[in-house]
Amino acid sequence: MKLIETIADSRLLAHLAAEEIDLLATTAHEARYSAGEVIFNEDEEANTFYIVREGKIGLELTSPRRRPIVIQTLGHGDLVGLSWMFPPYRWSWRARAIEDTSAVAFDAVAVRRQCETDSHLALVVLRIVADQAVARLHSSRTQMLDLYEFPR
Amino acid sequence: MTAPAAAPPIREEMLPLPYRVVGSRRETHDTVTVEFAPQHGALDHPAPGQFTMLYVFGIGEVPISIAGYTAGTAVITHSVRAVGAVTDAICALDRGAQVGLRGPYGVGWPVAVEGGRDLVVIAGGIGLAPLRPVIHHVVENRQTYGAVSLIYGARTPDDVLYTDELRDWRGRFDLDVEVTVDRASNGWHGDVGLVTNLLGRIAFRPDQTVAMTCGPEIMMKVVARDLIGRGVDPDGIALSLERNMKCAIGFCGHCQYGPDFVCRDGPVVSYAAVRDRLRVDEL
Repeated sequence: MKLIETIADSRLLAHLAAEEIDLLATTAHEARYSAGEVIFNEDEEANTFYIVREGKIGLELTSPRRRPIVIQTLGHGDLVGLSWMFPPYRWSWRARAIEDTSAVAFDAVAVRRQCETDSHLALVVLRIVADQAVARLHSSRTQMLDLYEFPR
Repeated sequence: MTAPAAAPPIREEMLPLPYRVVGSRRETHDTVTVEFAPQHGALDHPAPGQFTMLYVFGIGEVPISIAGYTAGTAVITHSVRAVGAVTDAICALDRGAQVGLRGPYGVGWPVAVEGGRDLVVIAGGIGLAPLRPVIHHVVENRQTYGAVSLIYGARTPDDVLYTDELRDWRGRFDLDVEVTVDRASNGWHGDVGLVTNLLGRIAFRPDQTVAMTCGPEIMMKVVARDLIGRGVDPDGIALSLERNMKCAIGFCGHCQYGPDFVCRDGPVVSYAAVRDRLRVDEL
């Protein structure tokens, strides 16, 4: 599938107009990562975001004197990276490919620049990122309940 | 002085039949799958989602979801998590040990779907046990369903049940099986996160989907909310409730849940029917 088709088919971008899809496509390229490869590191500049085409990516919390802890995995159709949208534009987590993974990588700096001049695009993109942030907040809160431990 | 009244006759459906342990397999540190074969007469063929009352002589009786059934031998499979005196005793049963079983009771899963509808099965923790017969049914009747997906969540990789079967189901081309855990250990290459995180990865037609979910009620609430958000009809979402069932035939009232007795009117219910009750604190 061509890059533009992948972008157009993404459920995340379903509310974008055709010309906005085209605009995003000009900032996009295909990225491939081998299993185990680090995609970005905590505190690095957040200048790219991704939509996963195939494979699996883990968001990791790094901690001194222990192995990294995977806090969430992202797969087909998922958005990787939220911090690129908000100052100080730095990653909060490390992202690492768990499997061989292909993704559409977007130039976040260019998208931010486009959003500065296109209020509709800015609103739609902000909603996409906010939706993901809210969903992950809900998931994290529910996960914190330790649901599966007895007593229920 | 009047003579003492004769004891009322015991209802036939309250009488356990003798079964013997013919197999036992430890699933996790606290969960064991046990196979019980009938000794003198067998219970009726259970429907997926029904339960039995399992009596460990001298200790007590508990309701346990049926996790499997072998038609030829009438062997009933239960997966039991050790959380109390009776379930501790069940998990410790040796091959040959005798127990009493009565049932099967309750309303099962709506497996008789029409028109090749898609099926989404979402289980959490020990909640996979009552849904295991659904997957068995699907495998035997695969042509009657559209896309079929199983999403299973567990606390850690060590808490995942039926690992061999999950591997087999995952190996089929006509089942989409996703497993996720809350906390990953080293060496886990699967998913981490809530079961609902995986809904976006599976293929289903929301307006043509039947969903079945079993697990902690908070999880089932979240699952139902997300499925409805994706367009699934609340009437098309079935969930299995767990309450303190004693008589199992709708007499004693221990499992009353609003206007229903879970033993008789459940354990499988439509989400639409109980949605409001799931919002009531401590009900």
